[in-house]
Amino acid sequence: MSAAPLARRNPTVKLALVFVVSLAVMFVLDPITAAVLYLLALGGVALGTRAPARDLVLAHVPFLAFALGVLVVNVLSRPGEVLWQAGVLRVTVEGLSVGAALAARTLVVGVLAVGFLLSTDGVALVHSLRQNARLSPRVAYAVLAGYRLLQDMPKEWAVIQHAHAVRAPWRGGRPPRGPRHLGRVVFTLLVVTVRRGERMAQALESRGLGLSPRTSWRPVRVTPADWLLAAGVLVVLAAVLAGSAALGVLRGPGALG
Amino acid sequence: MPEPTAVELRDVSVHVPRRTEPVVSGVDLQVGAGEHVLLLGASGSGKSTVLQCVTGVVPHSVNARLAGQVRVVGRSTDETSVVELARHVGVVAQDPTSAVCLPDVEQELALPLENHAVDPGTIGARIDAALGAVGATHLRARATGELSGGESQRVALAAALVTDCDVLLLDEPTSMLDPAGVGDVRRALDTAVARSGPAVVLVEHRLDDVAGERGLDGLPGRIVVLEAGRVRADGPTGAVLREHGAELLRAGCWLPLDAELHALTGATGGLEEPRNRAFLRSLADDDGGSPGPPDGEVARPGPAVLRARGLAVAHGGTPARRRRRDRDPAPVLLGDVDLELRAGEVVGLLGPNGVGKTTLLLTLAGLLPPAEGTVDGARAGMVFQNAEYQFVAHTVAEEVAHGLTGPVAETVAHALAEHRLAHLAAQDPFRLSGGEKRRLSLAAMLAHDRPCLLADEPTLGLDRRDTVAAMASLRRAADGGKAVVLSSHDLRTVATVADRVVVLAEGTVVADGPTAAVLGDRDVLRRAGLRLPPLVAWLLEHAPAAARRVLGRLDSAAAEPVPVGAAS
Repeated sequence: MSAAPLARRNPTVKLALVFVVSLAVMFVLDPITAAVLYLLALGGVALGTRAPARDLVLAHVPFLAFALGVLVVNVLSRPGEVLWQAGVLRVTVEGLSVGAALAARTLVVGVLAVGFLLSTDGVALVHSLRQNARLSPRVAYAVLAGYRLLQDMPKEWAVIQHAHAVRAPWRGGRPPRGPRHLGRVVFTLLVVTVRRGERMAQALESRGLGLSPRTSWRPVRVTPADWLLAAGVLVVLAAVLAGSAALGVLRGPGALG
Repeated sequence: MPEPTAVELRDVSVHVPRRTEPVVSGVDLQVGAGEHVLLLGASGSGKSTVLQCVTGVVPHSVNARLAGQVRVVGRSTDETSVVELARHVGVVAQDPTSAVCLPDVEQELALPLENHAVDPGTIGARIDAALGAVGATHLRARATGELSGGESQRVALAAALVTDCDVLLLDEPTSMLDPAGVGDVRRALDTAVARSGPAVVLVEHRLDDVAGERGLDGLPGRIVVLEAGRVRADGPTGAVLREHGAELLRAGCWLPLDAELHALTGATGGLEEPRNRAFLRSLADDDGGSPGPPDGEVARPGPAVLRARGLAVAHGGTPARRRRRDRDPAPVLLGDVDLELRAGEVVGLLGPNGVGKTTLLLTLAGLLPPAEGTVDGARAGMVFQNAEYQFVAHTVAEEVAHGLTGPVAETVAHALAEHRLAHLAAQDPFRLSGGEKRRLSLAAMLAHDRPCLLADEPTLGLDRRDTVAAMASLRRAADGGKAVVLSSHDLRTVATVADRVVVLAEGTVVADGPTAAVLGDRDVLRRAGLRLPPLVAWLLEHAPAAARRVLGRLDSAAAEPVPVGAAS
């Protein structure tokens, strides 16, 4: 991961860019501009993360499913100039256009999120947010401690599941798997985790979390390369929007009317 | 101006809701700068509460009322927040899994330094120094999720000491560890504390383990004995153990062997002392009136109730079923295991950490499928190392009733009475003490009346009275016709209760036979990395046929006031 260009960029900057571009795309309602933005974002993510095509395709599945749903709903339900009709099914030009735009928009946001997740380590993100985005240390370290709890959960789940199965009635020589059994396991896991969380909170406090002033070892900085990335992304975004507007393709929320 | 006392408690009492009696009452305690104190007392005597008064958790973080004055390095805890007190106080707690909070070791140690606003330029060097002091330099780049219990506790110790605290509180830091982990943490404590010189308040059950080879010299120089929330004794370690040894034994504390023998015979000098040896021999020779046949004859067990043939075990069961894309099959931990568990027999399961004891027990219990071979027999019961993990109900009585069929009410009442839980029937299982939780988990499992009971580290973290009670339950179950297996690192406990010992090492069973014979085999001990406690080693050498009887008598002697010549 460290070799990929995007992985070396500041997590807070990446997160901010995902947010800004997603926000801008909210106001784009024509399929061509959205599709161009999607293709550019896909290219950027593929190059920036150096992720294998297989991973990118798999990561797309939930967004593709959602995009397809949005497309179908719009195509079949939006009123306007009828393109094709059979019984109750009716396809309109407006539906096709708006549906495709919304679908492409979903994919833009999706591919940006995928690029962010594939190139960003969770722990690095929290440290960066704390230092670059002024996230409070108490919140940041609580999140990191929670991450530790999550790491151990699968192991604890297995142990608790066994500990409960040993006393439960078995059917056909197999341990129980029903909802009641799972509910009990979840309850115990919850109790055990909450208690462990309390102990960890005490440990964090005993290490002086919450004292001020505090210092930061190994500061996470926003480097010129990060500014370059931000500038590049914003320039491309502006260029696409301007070009699209100049060609008369761009349509905003008015398209919904 | 003289340096302020590190810790000062004046007439301190602590009340908690729903309890009329104070948890701690009228405690006066002063710990000087750099002084080392051992807090001793049975479960529930108020040791942890005293520590919580020092950290400020009482009264700031828990619902408790504090009367009296607590000062830490001159600052009143009443007027100082827990975090502010953290400038002076370092803590290492009992549970290694909650000892480290961040994803990697380096950050764990950087955090206290950052919080104390240490110059970032010096943080790297101080992390190195702190890890070096606990012998854990090699752990610096590790993820905390991969650490063993002993490693976690050493990192926690380094994190407590890295800010040069004035007071170090150690709340049973080794009680959840295996012997190797105990040894590591003990050595780390010795060197690290000597280097930075804080005042130390230690709470610990297993004094022999903490003292190590140095005997009493390995313990803090001063002991404060708590009993029912009050200071019962306070003085130099040797003197307190001599004067109060018998009552400490009675209260359920583990004592260093020398002190235990002194409490029973009045003679110092431990196993070297002829009077102590004569005492142990007298316990060995006197078989009159003792229940049960002498050692060796117990090896007339009943029929086999569980049989493993050619068994191989792996994490998560069958390797083939677990195979997925780019994930290796779970490695086989143990192979070629042939094992017969017979009615009426207690079998000790021994072996180094990670050898696969728990996985073998899970496979024998039918909870994991065998990787190879077969397990035949009726369904076995199992109690887990962490008793809490087994709890499913909201009251103790419902807990025992869970999964039972037939005359449930009678079975529950009987089980509660037998395990001394009747007075707790309406309590929440999660709110019990460690010993009570263990008794409940045993009661709930034994109520099922399965022919075989598998117990995974059932005595870990318990004080002596609770350990003896848990062992008595296992013994009764075996005498009542069950086959019992217990895995443990505590060789004294195993030698006290087990008829037979199975030793796991090198991926298979390396020994299976009568307890005295197997534990007396140096080659087996070496291959499995087992070290006999001095008392067990002496008994196996001098009275192998009666070792178990002597250990059993020492347990009952500890429970009853029979100080031979010791003034109490």
